[in-house]
Amino acid sequence: MQTAPRAFEMHFSIRYLFYLYLMYRWTFFTAFVLLLFTSCKQYTDYVKSDASYSYYVNEDRVQDYLGKSAEDVFKVQIPVKLIKRDNNAGPLGLQVNGFGAFDVYWDGIFVGSNGKMVKSGQPEVAGTETTYYEIPEKRGNIGKHMITIIGTQTQLREAKRGIDIRLESFLRLHRAPLIVMSFMNLMAGAFLIAAIYYFFLYINSTRKETTVLLFGIICLLFFCLLIIEYVKFYIDIPYTQFYTRLQIVGLLTFAISILVPWYFMLQFDFKKKRLFLFLLFTSLIVIYVTNYGHYDRTAIYFSYAMCLVSIIIAANATFRKIKGGSIVVVGLLASVVVNRYIFYDFGLFIAFTIIVLSMLYLHTIRAKAIEEAHNASLLLSSRLQLELIKKNIQPHFLRNTLTSLIDWVEESPQQGVVFIRALADEFDIMNSISEDTLIPIRQEIELCKKHLQVMSFRKEVCYDWEEKNIDENEEIPPAIIHTIIENGITHSLSPKEGCIRFCLGFAQKDHYKEYTLLTLAKNRKTKKDRGHGTGFKYIKARLNESYGDNWSFDSVAVEEGWQTTIKIFDKR
Amino acid sequence: MKILIIEDEARIAKRIERMTRNFFDKEVQILLSDSLENGLITIDQHEIDLLLLDLNLNGEDGFEILQAFTARSFHTIIISAYTDKAITAFAYGVLDFVPKPFDESRLAQAFMRFTTPGKQLNEDIKFLAVKKGKAVRLIRIKDIIYIKGAGIYTELHLSDNHIELHDKSLESLEKLLPSTFERIHKSFIVCWHEADKLIVEPGGKYSMLLKNGELLPVGRSKYKEIRHKMI
Repeated sequence: MQTAPRAFEMHFSIRYLFYLYLMYRWTFFTAFVLLLFTSCKQYTDYVKSDASYSYYVNEDRVQDYLGKSAEDVFKVQIPVKLIKRDNNAGPLGLQVNGFGAFDVYWDGIFVGSNGKMVKSGQPEVAGTETTYYEIPEKRGNIGKHMITIIGTQTQLREAKRGIDIRLESFLRLHRAPLIVMSFMNLMAGAFLIAAIYYFFLYINSTRKETTVLLFGIICLLFFCLLIIEYVKFYIDIPYTQFYTRLQIVGLLTFAISILVPWYFMLQFDFKKKRLFLFLLFTSLIVIYVTNYGHYDRTAIYFSYAMCLVSIIIAANATFRKIKGGSIVVVGLLASVVVNRYIFYDFGLFIAFTIIVLSMLYLHTIRAKAIEEAHNASLLLSSRLQLELIKKNIQPHFLRNTLTSLIDWVEESPQQGVVFIRALADEFDIMNSISEDTLIPIRQEIELCKKHLQVMSFRKEVCYDWEEKNIDENEEIPPAIIHTIIENGITHSLSPKEGCIRFCLGFAQKDHYKEYTLLTLAKNRKTKKDRGHGTGFKYIKARLNESYGDNWSFDSVAVEEGWQTTIKIFDKR
Repeated sequence: MKILIIEDEARIAKRIERMTRNFFDKEVQILLSDSLENGLITIDQHEIDLLLLDLNLNGEDGFEILQAFTARSFHTIIISAYTDKAITAFAYGVLDFVPKPFDESRLAQAFMRFTTPGKQLNEDIKFLAVKKGKAVRLIRIKDIIYIKGAGIYTELHLSDNHIELHDKSLESLEKLLPSTFERIHKSFIVCWHEADKLIVEPGGKYSMLLKNGELLPVGRSKYKEIRHKMI
């Protein structure tokens, strides 16, 4: 059985700062400067008193001191040798890690108790796992000493946890957890804020992206993990509940180990999500079962499994050249390295922090992509507006119209005036619809009719308009039927006699609305494919703008002439 | 004289036709065509002297066909709404570019270019289009050393010693070419940059020595003018 994790070692601050430096390069400098002022000086002054003597070092040397009955009083004597002490270090302190309720004696002098041991008729009041005692200054001299621990352990006797002791400056014994926690709380706070922020973002977003929710949950779980892991420094947890905390830590690690790869799968659009999630889940269960009771080891293996799957996903994303993939691979590898070279307590959290940071980075990339898409759509809308306005001022339309107009005015002024009014009306309608993305169908039809009138003056061809089943409440993107008509005029041969007829039909079907425009005329032979002109690009862009992907556009030659069909599907 | 109008807008086509008739009086035969396709057929069937062309016809770009037209023996006048294409049109060797909307005097001005013999000072021309079988090849103006009339055709003598045949007559080409080209003989147009010196041969025969050593005859009537220009 592994001994209880020691939260710090002599040079922990140096190590820890180094990893912190890797994570928050700039924050680190501020923290580092602050540390220089607060604690660095004291550290250099300290000289460690001696090595800590463990009653049990490993399972080979188990001495069953507990006795046979649950209420037996045990007495443990640990000889220690104080090698040297720093004069300025303040009083000597003793840290005891162990289960039960006991009194502690230093050279036979009572220095403190942890809980209340079983006394006649009174049950045990459980002590906590880690306790600190101050050694009287006059007894703390260099040389040999004897620590005696007398107590009872009525619960968790099967755990066979030994007793560890450790000598250190009393002040430092108390201060060291504070320093660890100041950083851990800092991190926890950051994750709490992130969790809340992403929950709010999810609630108020119209998109309801799973990744946002998932990221919020991961941040919250990570916050809980940090708090639970270090709650031992705040609360005196009775030794009987010692494993409860570790179980919670295990559960949180389990959840995080599932959620993080899942997040990466969603973010990178990974193909075999279910298979990999199932494999991951199974392997986590296997790890849990095979390492049952070994809490630290289970958590480490969980994180290994998580890292492995995440690296596979990120490597796959990098291979598919998805933005951010390589950053995540680097982050994950860094966390593996950290995990490898640092003791669990820190290593895991730093590794997790790196992973969460790379997730956050991914998220910003995603947010940027969404922002760019939004900007592009705005840009497209204004470009379409411009294109609509341009329709009537492009040289081909304007100059040809003016040329015809001059001729009408010169040759038959009265007709010329009619022409001018038709043109003015078309301009008016164009002007009034130019900033809308959807206009009433009636307005579109008016626009088409005016255009046909103008064109009949120019081409001296008669154009007929016919409509079927038009629903006056319907709306349509501006000038799309107008564009189809322009095309129809251009690509139809002038009839020897009679008119070119345009026939607009509307139908409300089960899952879609359908507009059909039939041009009744002989088609001109054309070299270019009629379906790919700039006019059709405009129509498609307009449909995209208003209906997303829920539309279809077909334009084909038929026996009577040319038929264009626009289907607008109901929103899925 | 035959004039072909290719214009897809009936009203404008009529306008052009009316004004053309006014300018040339009754002696002119006017053909109308509302698409490039019909226009090409008409050109093949009739010997036309002048083409009045709209550049954008029913959505088709007239430019690819413009090259083919300028390679022919007739002159081309563009009447178009796309005024920004004027420079390009001149580079391919059209006689004039009339922007829409136009009035009678502007069109008359274009016709004047066509009817007036001699140079029309078109400095924008960059190419002469030459028919090569069914394809059209563009010859850069700066590659031409001199042009020799050969009946209804002309020979373009190029700086790489190649000779290309052009369908336009020497008179037609003279109208199109920039001021760096000079008619020195009833059968020769030379590029000034290639001329070396004038030589008076015994018997009152005048010749021009080119930088590449070739000797071209100089017309008796042109001699004074050319000598004046060379000094």
